[in-house]
Parts: sequence; structure tokens; C-alpha cells
Amino acid sequence: MNIPSKITRANQHDVAITWSDGHQSLYPARDLRLACPCASCVDEMTGLRILQPGQVGKGVAPASLELVGRYAIRIWWQDGHSSGIYTFDYLRELCPCEECRG
Amino acid sequence: MSDKQAILEALRRVQDPDLRRDIVSLGFVKEVKLCGPAAAVTIELTTPACPVKDLLKEQARQAILSVPGIEEAHVTMTAQVRSSMGSRGTGLLPDVKNVIPVASGKGGVGKSTVSANLALALARSGANVGLLDADVYGPSIPTLMGISGKPDMAPGNRILPIRQYGVGVISMGFFLPRDKAVIWRGPMLDKMIGQFLGGVQWGALDYLVIDLPPGTGDVQLSLCQKISLTGAVVVSTPQDVALNVAQKAIIMFNQLNCPVLGMVENMSYYVCSCCGTREAIFGDGGTQRVAEQLELPLLGDIPLSTDIRVQSDRGRPIVLDAPESLAARSFVTVAENLAAQISIRNMSGELNQEIQIAF
Repeated sequence: MNIPSKITRANQHDVAITWSDGHQSLYPARDLRLACPCASCVDEMTGLRILQPGQVGKGVAPASLELVGRYAIRIWWQDGHSSGIYTFDYLRELCPCEECRG
Repeated sequence: MSDKQAILEALRRVQDPDLRRDIVSLGFVKEVKLCGPAAAVTIELTTPACPVKDLLKEQARQAILSVPGIEEAHVTMTAQVRSSMGSRGTGLLPDVKNVIPVASGKGGVGKSTVSANLALALARSGANVGLLDADVYGPSIPTLMGISGKPDMAPGNRILPIRQYGVGVISMGFFLPRDKAVIWRGPMLDKMIGQFLGGVQWGALDYLVIDLPPGTGDVQLSLCQKISLTGAVVVSTPQDVALNVAQKAIIMFNQLNCPVLGMVENMSYYVCSCCGTREAIFGDGGTQRVAEQLELPLLGDIPLSTDIRVQSDRGRPIVLDAPESLAARSFVTVAENLAAQISIRNMSGELNQEIQIAF
């Protein structure tokens, strides 16, 4: 499993993760909010995304964030949403850097 | 070289077979005292349930006696259990060093019997042990441990575990009349798990053994989300029906990044009380095969035995009343192998990898 060594704010909105293998990821807040894996944002049976980009404001930002066991984080968004549990593996998959996208 | 240094050099020849390093570089040698030709050495292991304690003690004694001029060797063995909680604990269990859920895929494979005997075997070795019965639907621990009372409350409205046979115990069964059943949905189970972890005054524990309900559901998930577990023990019988589902439990723990410390084969074989013939009623070596495939340690085999059943129903687990019996010894072996696996993990530091959150 991919394990982060440090999770921090990159700026007012975005989240930065340094992984234990040294890799660095920077997640734009709105992309992370739109990727929320919770059951109200993704249909549990079909896997289709329920949450649509139009429903999330441009200025969305995480209010706080905490570890879940040793496999995930939970993010409290300023828009009140907090049910998404982002596993480390999922976050690593989401890494938007060129190396990971390429 | 002083005699003390000579003794330390000699002790470097004593290897811990589990940690694969010598006891001096592991920092286990706490004290070397000399009085003429007599030497007294204190060795501190990482668990009082160390399976090779006697072997290490004898090897240390021989090593000390090999030093010229030393004619007498006194070796004292102590233990200081290491913690796996690191900084990742959520603060729910600040004084508990290791949390070990006992899981299975299928029900009825003997999780509760294994949990109770494991807890008692660890406690008898000298460790501080707690036993949490998280099987809310079918709490068996009160029966197995012979407990019928209700727990007292500590100041601050915290629940005090009931101490029985040297182990602190909490079970849903303590809070529920016999003629009532728990019929709960997920959120209630989540709340109950939180209450049993954070709302109970467990005190300082080396090991907290958690008897889980069967399967891969709410209780397992809540537990893995709320605290940083040391690692799970997966119990199975040798049958394919049990083993196939046991693998599901292992997959769940892998996904939740909770290590699996090893498997236990229960109802492994039956020894005829008349002729002593050993028969593998549910098949031979099934758990061993799965454990090898998944590269997990097999912590031990427990026989199918009437005595285990009788003692369990009497509320006095077998390691308590017949510690020399084959069945009790097999539980003790499982406990020792488990303690060794925990020590290996904790010493390697892989569980303590810190995740810094600056948010």
C-alpha cells in the first residue's frame, strides 16, 4: 500500500502529500472535492458519478482533515460535506502530476 | 578489556532467532553486575510470552561462563512489551501498546474460544492483557470467562472492565439481558465500538485482544477506522468452506492496511481418548497451505477436544485449569508465536511509520 509521510496544505485551497517513497502530489482542492468517493457522490451499485461539476463552487476548500485508521483520510470541506473517505491507494491513483498521468 | 566488556562480547554470540540479531545490539542486555567470579546479568525481552525465553536464558548463561575467570552466572529475564500504536493512534487508547483483533470469515470456527485462551495465555506469561468481546450479536465471552456481573463505572462516566482470571474484560453481553437481542444497523455498531474503545478505562495494557464477529462488516470496518491496529489473527478450520471465507477476511485487512499477523487452525485434528490415534476430521493441512500461499505465518493448530468444550462451557478456559494438556499447550504455542510476530513487527518499525498531518 502507498503510505504518505506528510499531508499538508499547499496553499489556501490545495492539498499536498509527500509519500513515503519520496513522490510528491499536489491536489487542486476542487478536483479532490469532485473526486469524493462517498456514496452520495458516487452510485454504489453502478459506480457512476452522482456529483456533477456544476454542484461544486469554484472556491471550495478543505476545512480540516484527519487520518482514518492506517489506510485513509477523511476531509471536512468548507461546504459542509465530510462523508468521503479517501484511501491512500485512491489518492495515489488521483495524483495529477505528469509522471503519474503520462 | 574489563570483565564486563568481556561478558558483553560473549553475549553478542547469543542471537534472537526471531529478530535475527544478537541480544547486545538489540539492546536487551540491561545490566551486568560482577562480584568476584560471579556475574549477574539482566536481559529484557520484548514480550514475557517469548517462545525462546528459556533457550536464550541458557545460551546467555553458557556465554557468560565461557568468559575466563567467571565461574558463576545468574541470568534474570524480564520483558518490556513494545508498542505498535506510534503516533497514529487517535487517542482512543493512549495506554494500550498493542491491539489484536481475532477474526474469521465464517462463523463457528472458534474465534471466541481462541480469543479467551489467547488472552489468558498471554496474561499467564506476565503481560497486562485486556479482552474485548466485539461480537455484539452473539457475545460468547461472558460464558467462556464465567462472568455474570455488570461492570462498575469509574469517575467521568467511564466503564471499568471486569477483571476475571487476571484479564480485564468488556462484552456487549454485560449490558444486555439474556432475553434481549442486539438488532442494530451500522451507525449503532460504529457508536458501540467507539464506546468500547474510548469509553472504557482499559488502563495500561501490553495486549488488547478483540474477539470480532464473523465476516467483513461494520464492526471490522469501524475498528480499522478508529484505531491503528497492531495486526489481526485469522482463525479457520481446515475445511475449504471456512478457508475460502477466511481469505476474504484477509483481503479486507489488506485493503484497510491492517497487517495480518498469522493464521490459527482450530479443530485441526482429533486425538482418540481410547487409542491415541490422531484423525484429521476436517481435512489435513488446509490452513497451512493457505498460509503458505498468502505468505502468512501459521501461528499454531488447536485440536478438536471435548475438554476444550467442557472447560469453555464451565466458564474456565482450558489454559487455566489444565495448562499441561495438549489443548492448552497448543493455545500457549499460538500465544507465544503471536507475541513473537508482534515483537518482530514493532522492532522493525514498519508499523510506526509516522504520517505527519499539518493542516
